[in-house]
Amino acid sequence: MPMLFALPEWVEPTARYMFEVGLPGTLRIAAFSLVASAVVGVVLGTLLTIRFLPSRALIRLYVEVWRGLPIIVTIFIVFFVFPVAGRQFEFDPFTSATIGLSLWGSAQIAEATRGAVQSIPREQHEAAAALGFGWFGRHVFVILPQALRRLLPPVVSLLVGIIQNTTLASVIGASELLTTGKQQVERITSPPPAGIGEIHAIEIYGAVMVVFFLISFPLTRLAIFLERRLV
Amino acid sequence: MAVAVLFEPVEFVRENFDVLLAGLERTLLVSAIAMVGAFFIGAVLGAARAHRVPVVSQLAAVYVEVIRNTPILVQIFMLFFALPQIGITLTPFTVAWLSVMVWGGAFNTENFRAGFEAVPHRYREAALALGFGRVRAFLNVTLPIGGRIALPSSINTYIAVLKNTALLYVISYPELTKTAYDINASTLQTLETFFVLGVVYLALVWALSVLIRLLESHLALPEQA
Repeated sequence: MPMLFALPEWVEPTARYMFEVGLPGTLRIAAFSLVASAVVGVVLGTLLTIRFLPSRALIRLYVEVWRGLPIIVTIFIVFFVFPVAGRQFEFDPFTSATIGLSLWGSAQIAEATRGAVQSIPREQHEAAAALGFGWFGRHVFVILPQALRRLLPPVVSLLVGIIQNTTLASVIGASELLTTGKQQVERITSPPPAGIGEIHAIEIYGAVMVVFFLISFPLTRLAIFLERRLV
Repeated sequence: MAVAVLFEPVEFVRENFDVLLAGLERTLLVSAIAMVGAFFIGAVLGAARAHRVPVVSQLAAVYVEVIRNTPILVQIFMLFFALPQIGITLTPFTVAWLSVMVWGGAFNTENFRAGFEAVPHRYREAALALGFGRVRAFLNVTLPIGGRIALPSSINTYIAVLKNTALLYVISYPELTKTAYDINASTLQTLETFFVLGVVYLALVWALSVLIRLLESHLALPEQA
């Protein structure tokens, strides 16, 4: 193969494993968590603007608890404590990590949605009501479409947060980029035939950092750009 | 099938009090070191960014972007599992405070930069006109005013620093989360363990948020109050 410089032999299988097994895992956890966070968060955030004390208190508690806990603790709770309630609440590491990230993400989105909905001028509510919309139609067709524009920058920031926090799935053994990186570091360190008895942790964890940087950096820029344009 | 689950958090705390307390102390110690460090990193590099000090400003920008755009867990892995490859072996305690401090410092640099840049130019010009040097003008005018503007966002960073210490579980540093994890492994009192763990974190985070609100109104600039 004509190459400017030859890569060491361990690189190719390691990189292939991390990209074919690890990266898709990371992206899947991130995608599921983002969708779940957005749906649950927008609904809870909108309900949070209703002045009905019991529902508000409950949602407030949900938001403050999942926003307040370190995400790793939330993931431990989903993974270890949920099964105590019954077998149907026993989830594999991949699902547990996704649920944990979604609890955190939906709390963030709920808080942002509340702010966005309340920032829509009262006249919009009144005009929609005058046109005959009930509470549901008013919010779905008039208020939320306007609020979603203001939600875009925090959602992009949350996406960056979710993508970076998918690495937490590694602590319960779900397969994602950092997990596969860790496995490869350990494999290469072990003596032949499995490994080559060398440590290549800097290269591998460095590569993991580079991949996350390449995904996150454009998104952070996008969030800043959207913030400037929409606010 | 319904199995009666015994739930005795008080008894649980009483039995594991010393271990839990030791874990909590380590969490607080590491957080405190990291918060103080992050304050100074943020103030110095934030000033360099806001005043466009050549070289330092660009280096600080790279530092901020690298830390903000990579997962802190990988940063911890780098410090603890990768550095020994080039002969730098750090103790778990060093990695503990260093990793969360470096992380918090990057976010604080942005907080302080925004705060310093929000200080009206005329204030600094007034200080220079009164004969203050550049450093003294910064220390006596830009820092007190910009620091207060940056207060809400930097406090959020300190809260995040406290929460991030839970990640030190992965390097087996016996802070609160690792302690609780080990207690769970040996006692199998899963419900109690994570209930107590969650309550302690929420108490810390909520107390810190309340403290902030008080501090915010206390330190608010007269024109904002």
